[in-house]
Amino acid sequence: MRSERLFRILGLVDGDLVLEAGEAAAPAARRKRRWSIPMAAAACGALVCGLALARWGLGNINMGGGANAGGSGHDGGTVFMSYGGPVFPLGVLEEDVDLTAERAVIWDLAPGAYRDGEPRQWGAAVTDGYILSNSTGEDITVNALYPFTGSLQNLAERMPAVTVDGTEAEPILYAGPYSGGFQSASPDGSDTLNLAYPDSWEDYKALLSDGRYREQALGDYPVLDVPVTVYQFTDFAAPHEEYRAATQAVTFSADESETTVFTYGFNGYEGDPEEGWARHSYFVPDGVRAEPELKLLIVLGKDLEGYVLQGYQDGGCSRGEEIEGVSCTVIRQESTLDEVLDEICRYDSERYGALRGEEADTGAAFTLFRRAVGELLADMGPLPGNRCPDRYSYGFLDDLVSEARAMDRVLYLQFPVTVPAGGDVSVSASLWKAPSHDFDCSGSENVGIQGYDMVTALGSSLRFTRQTAALVNGEGVEIVRQNFGFDLAGGVSQVELDMGQEHYYLEIRVREED
Amino acid sequence: MEDQQIIDLYWARDQRAVGETAEKYGGFLYSLAWNLLRVRGDAEECVNDVYLRAWNAIPPERPGYLRAWLGRIARNLSLDRWKRDQAEKRGGGEILLGELAECLPGSPDPQKQMEDREIAGHISRFLRGLPQESRRIFLLRYWYGSSVAEIAGACGCGAGKVKSALFRTRKALRAYLEREGVVL
Repeated sequence: MRSERLFRILGLVDGDLVLEAGEAAAPAARRKRRWSIPMAAAACGALVCGLALARWGLGNINMGGGANAGGSGHDGGTVFMSYGGPVFPLGVLEEDVDLTAERAVIWDLAPGAYRDGEPRQWGAAVTDGYILSNSTGEDITVNALYPFTGSLQNLAERMPAVTVDGTEAEPILYAGPYSGGFQSASPDGSDTLNLAYPDSWEDYKALLSDGRYREQALGDYPVLDVPVTVYQFTDFAAPHEEYRAATQAVTFSADESETTVFTYGFNGYEGDPEEGWARHSYFVPDGVRAEPELKLLIVLGKDLEGYVLQGYQDGGCSRGEEIEGVSCTVIRQESTLDEVLDEICRYDSERYGALRGEEADTGAAFTLFRRAVGELLADMGPLPGNRCPDRYSYGFLDDLVSEARAMDRVLYLQFPVTVPAGGDVSVSASLWKAPSHDFDCSGSENVGIQGYDMVTALGSSLRFTRQTAALVNGEGVEIVRQNFGFDLAGGVSQVELDMGQEHYYLEIRVREED
Repeated sequence: MEDQQIIDLYWARDQRAVGETAEKYGGFLYSLAWNLLRVRGDAEECVNDVYLRAWNAIPPERPGYLRAWLGRIARNLSLDRWKRDQAEKRGGGEILLGELAECLPGSPDPQKQMEDREIAGHISRFLRGLPQESRRIFLLRYWYGSSVAEIAGACGCGAGKVKSALFRTRKALRAYLEREGVVL
């Protein structure tokens, strides 16, 4: 059928034309899939249990109104679509330390000077070196803190290597909470469904200036030992050959002022809080789809008085599409939220590792991950009394768990440094910095430009007497914008920094080969 | 979430990729499938199949325009589904394909046949030469599968104008393809 072929060929026309036309098709594009979009927000309101979570919380979080955008107000630097975050200065945990510090930051732009090993220039190997001097008559021991941006997911790539007087340090790693906020997914700005990552150094300035973020990063874990009732769904059966998306739904009545429900391993939710009913559903595991087989429904507050299980043809869970042959075993048990999170995090970590052919996180890495999940739930989950963003209001713990792993945050390496009386100690952090950049497909004028930046004092109480910056292996790049004062053509590859200037930026482009 | 971040999630084999795709493009994909199939269950299944195809295709693919790339999969899957259902005459695809037949040059000559992508390149060039409104109306109808009434509403004009623009564009496309030696 020739017209059918033409129909398919039309599917191949240039993407920009399709997008242009689609701008007029917004009304149709706003239609939502029923099975994945709840009819009303889950409980975020009344306080029904004694969770007192006096944490850094949402005070600094952008809860809507959009992320920063636009190119002004950033010391002239570009606001990239993906911001790599600045290089932070070394700090110390103690206050009023009688040490002085000289800092020398070296940006190595050699092709391949990064950890994915591909032979091209992308990212920079940064050496952030310090000389700590003690002019007093007594040795001074401090807990040094080296902050860096990253996520738990990309730690292997981003974690700095730290040395003290040339000897590799064995620092303790701490992770701060999510460093961004939330923004609306709709033009009217009426929700907080999307993440809004920091997109300028000022976002980090707002985050770190008052010290509360660091305090939380280094502080105690959130305790969530509130009692919960857990319903585990297992031993699944469904007519998979006939229904590729056979679905099991759990429908129950609950007053959201008394009951908060979380799920893990579920795919759909719909309900009506005013009428007091909810339906959670999952695709019945068939051993083929990469769906988690751990299916938990967690009830915080008043337990369910009953529930109805029903199989459906697909995730629509529509009346008239009920099917026979969908079954499972339901195990009810009493637990605490912490215990359930332990189980979910262990399961999710094993599953995440298996998907990548890696070992599951254990030891300190798992502890950090587990903490991040608990922290995200305590700070932003739909717990009674919390002001939770719409993104997490449906109680899907899958979202919280996976985002705890992937979210941008500031991490800290803590290690002891003793500076002898009247003497010096050198401290060095070597790290790979991903560049700030615009996405290739965006068509932006900044595609191909790599942005790097550093801050001179943010978050540090050290008394700096001098700071310098240097570029090495810059032959293959041209500087597009900067405020350092480098002049590669004129042989100026090292500059003194004005410590009254909070922020320095460098934007480069790889030279095209002749 | 930005498209590039979603694609990165696929590359990282992070299942959140599917959730983010559904969150951002689920409604769009459903509308594409619905416009062709007019059966809710079929459209929902097609959309779920799009997610599976995307999961299997990325990597190695790295789509430049994720929305258009997903949409192309949805259109093709919907067409496949519509063909299976054709015996029951319950889809909207028959009308769409019937209209498109007007664009087809005659005298099939296998020697002159081109690859689909080359032909799509010709059509893209043709569309770029059209006034923006005509181009948008054509693609809303034959790429997005929107109804004439929906297009009229989206473009702020009457249905008669939409029909007229579609008629003229189909004729012009046929002439253009003939001139370029395109035979389907």
